[in-house]
Amino acid sequence: MKNSFDEKILEEANDWIKTNQKVVLATVIQTWGSSPRQVGSRMIVNEKGDFSGSVSGGCVESAVVRECIGIIKDNKPFKKIEFKVSNESAWEVGLACGGEIAVYLEQIN
Amino acid sequence: MKLEILKEIIKKKENKSEFAIVTKLSTGESEIFIDKKPLSKNFNKYTDQIENFYKSKKNGVIDNTDVFIETYIRPIKVIIVGAVHIAQYLVDYAKSLNFEISIIDPRGYFASEQRFPNMNIINKWPNEAFKEIETNTNTALIALTHDPKIDDPALQHALKKKFYYIGALGSKKTHENRCQRLRESGFSEDEIKSIHGPIGIKLGGKSAPEIALSIISQLVSETYKK
Repeated sequence: MKNSFDEKILEEANDWIKTNQKVVLATVIQTWGSSPRQVGSRMIVNEKGDFSGSVSGGCVESAVVRECIGIIKDNKPFKKIEFKVSNESAWEVGLACGGEIAVYLEQIN
Repeated sequence: MKLEILKEIIKKKENKSEFAIVTKLSTGESEIFIDKKPLSKNFNKYTDQIENFYKSKKNGVIDNTDVFIETYIRPIKVIIVGAVHIAQYLVDYAKSLNFEISIIDPRGYFASEQRFPNMNIINKWPNEAFKEIETNTNTALIALTHDPKIDDPALQHALKKKFYYIGALGSKKTHENRCQRLRESGFSEDEIKSIHGPIGIKLGGKSAPEIALSIISQLVSETYKK
């Protein structure tokens, strides 16, 4: 059963918007295999790349931040991105745990 | 997501309502689902699947669709009896974990707004206080006064209402005496055994924040066993 533990990311998004920041909401919508965070986990990113919350254990957040800044710049309303098991290249972004996640990015407007 | 939907979600969470957010991933449109209320034309053909997800309190993409659903359930109610030092730390942990806290203490100098700012404090004896709080099997009780006059009526109420978690502070000896009093009041061995006493998991610490951490850890663990 799902529990009611909640990280109050949406409340924080609203606070950011009140101070005229552009906010993209990133949500884990699907996971396959071993993934660090469950479906429904969230983070928010503003146009400067400040972020709060998480969609993994720190493995893919930097890439999510870049993507979010990108959709604000291009004024795209939403985008779906997937992350797979990381390859041998040490600096490549990926999930070290071997899982896969799909993250949905959407601008709040 | 539209800002007005975000604001509506926050309002619903503040009001402790149960609902879901549905999002059409291919268009970015989202709306709030409330049980038994019709959905807009964007989502109404998925009503059955959305209701199924909602009933099983799951998040996820509905099979063979581009609809993502996230369900929100009511926070768990935790009643703390005794506005003592440990309770001040418990309140902080409980807030991060989204528990909904009420504090009962008939002693006004303990249950003050200054000690517990912005909290639901009921400055009454437990039997009176429980008339103001709706409780059920989804409620937890943390009894901290180790004063039988205050703790016992609260424990009896929690046992009768079958709270999923009941914990009581006090040494082994205090707890034995407590169990004996409950036996004399007609509670069964199984009921008495359901009380976590001495309260908390073994961490080794003795300071107020450490005891609070051991209690909240046990509460979270029992919440997942429900």
